[in-house]
Amino acid sequence: MGNRSIFLALIPAGFLILIISLFQTQSARANELRQETEKYCLSCHTDPSASITLPSGEVLSIYIAPDTLHQSVHNTAGIECEACHTGITTYPHPPLEYASRRDLSLDYYQVCQKCHPANYQKTLDSIHAQMAASGKQNTPVCTDCHGIHDIRPPDQPRAHISETCGQCHPAVVDQYKQSVHGAALLEENNQDVPVCIDCHGVHNIQDPRTAQFRVKEPELCAGCHADPQLMGKYNLPANVYDIYKTSWHGVDLSVYKARWPTIWHDSAVCSDCHGVHDIRKTDDPASHVNSANLLATCQKCHPKAGPNWTSAWTGHNEVSLKRTPSLYYTKVFYTYLVPVILWMCMVYVALQVIRVTVDRVRRNLT
Amino acid sequence: MRTQPSTATPEIHHERTFRRFTLSQRLEHTVIFLSIAVLLITGLPQKYRSASWSQELLSTPERVHRIQDIHHIAATVLTLEVLFHLVNAIVLLIRRKLPGHIFLTLQDIRDAGKMLRYLLFLRKDKPSFGKYNFEQKVTYWFLFISIGIMVGTGFILLFPVTLTRWLPGSVIPAAKMAHSTEAIVTAIFVVIWHFYHVHIERLNLSIFTGRLSEQEMRTYHADEFEHLTGEKANRAETGGNS
Repeated sequence: MGNRSIFLALIPAGFLILIISLFQTQSARANELRQETEKYCLSCHTDPSASITLPSGEVLSIYIAPDTLHQSVHNTAGIECEACHTGITTYPHPPLEYASRRDLSLDYYQVCQKCHPANYQKTLDSIHAQMAASGKQNTPVCTDCHGIHDIRPPDQPRAHISETCGQCHPAVVDQYKQSVHGAALLEENNQDVPVCIDCHGVHNIQDPRTAQFRVKEPELCAGCHADPQLMGKYNLPANVYDIYKTSWHGVDLSVYKARWPTIWHDSAVCSDCHGVHDIRKTDDPASHVNSANLLATCQKCHPKAGPNWTSAWTGHNEVSLKRTPSLYYTKVFYTYLVPVILWMCMVYVALQVIRVTVDRVRRNLT
Repeated sequence: MRTQPSTATPEIHHERTFRRFTLSQRLEHTVIFLSIAVLLITGLPQKYRSASWSQELLSTPERVHRIQDIHHIAATVLTLEVLFHLVNAIVLLIRRKLPGHIFLTLQDIRDAGKMLRYLLFLRKDKPSFGKYNFEQKVTYWFLFISIGIMVGTGFILLFPVTLTRWLPGSVIPAAKMAHSTEAIVTAIFVVIWHFYHVHIERLNLSIFTGRLSEQEMRTYHADEFEHLTGEKANRAETGGNS
């Protein structure tokens, strides 16, 4: 009995030792490598004047600033040079076979997928990858947004994201900075407002000019603007999307979304009226939906609309006596008329059926 | 509509019939009936665009446009019919060629009261009626107003930009609500009220044949029968469903 239970207890104990030993050897190994390769590489690459001239004539600096490197996410996580520089295993190094700096980047960024396969796969689905496939060399790859030896958390501070996109899209980012969202981020460090990636996505950034993007756009805005808690914080109504969905534009859109998401439709979505990157508060004189500019905004799609036209819009407003009196009275009228007509018809016909049947039975009995 | 009299006599019986509707009135009914049927069939999928059954029917954007075109064509036919009806009626009334039987009078309210008492077993006999009883007048005037609302709001929805040059903007959503709700009210009214009276209470096809038999005249339009013939109507079956 005693021997047997000791034997049984030894089995899990053995497993435990085995598992712990696996961890032990791995971490010991990582520490060991980190120490060696980084120090070894930096013994040459800390010379600020070290550079290579590429066949394109471009001068490629091979200087690595140790401070920058030591602050990067990879370095602090213990990931060292050879993780990315897989082709360099000896000294002297094999000659570089890149014609230009861009050639080098386009080849080197492929190494990112070794550790980040999910994000790499997502980028293959992006508008940037599509444009690269069509031969445009300057479309961004991982390192263009994230950096190289200086890779940091991309959203610290959050405003850094728009700076990153602004490297290639400066006009859009300038507009954004003046918008209600951008200004709140930059001036008040507001963490609720959207930055580029909240609407466009991160790695699988889609072409926002397609029918598919357009048909889902109100849903995108509703992500924040239909959230009562978030909107309550800024004293904004959270029912704008729900009412929009019942409006002429919104119903039309919902059919396209359900049935024909790939067919372009003209019914107005949020950005058609409020703007895209230049969304401003409605009381801002520069807002497209400010009462001074509203008619001009409607006229983009309804060119012959007159000044009365703007009050026909019911996409964000509950039926009210003050704003839409004729709609209010129509609603009240039919709220009573429909049941009254229905019940009057049914009761009258029912009474007739009863009376006729009773008369008939009586006649047949006599 | 030539029903044999219930009491068979050995003599040859000539069934008299009475003209109820002119050919023009019968054609008008046909045009209204057909155009409203088309308008309802093409209008309902538009009203219920969010419903999946509607989206099955309107399977492509082109089909939505086609169904709207059909709706507008039928609406134009109905509008022309309404204009003809109004102009024709006014001209005939002025020339005293159309007796104003269809207008509501105090007698209709008294008849309705009597009928209600009859239906509640507070009265033995149905009231006697003239050319149009109050039920038929209710049918006419309900549809008169209803079609008026449908045509009016329909044109607001067809030319919203033009009409808001003069009208306030809120008439557009109001017209949309009225158009789509009034359609349902009218459909309910026609199906329950009108179909009951012309199909179930008795099969009354005079709007197609143009004529009523003597029996029908005596039973349902006793006052008119007596006025036209000078004879006593002798309504045998007051609660009649003959």
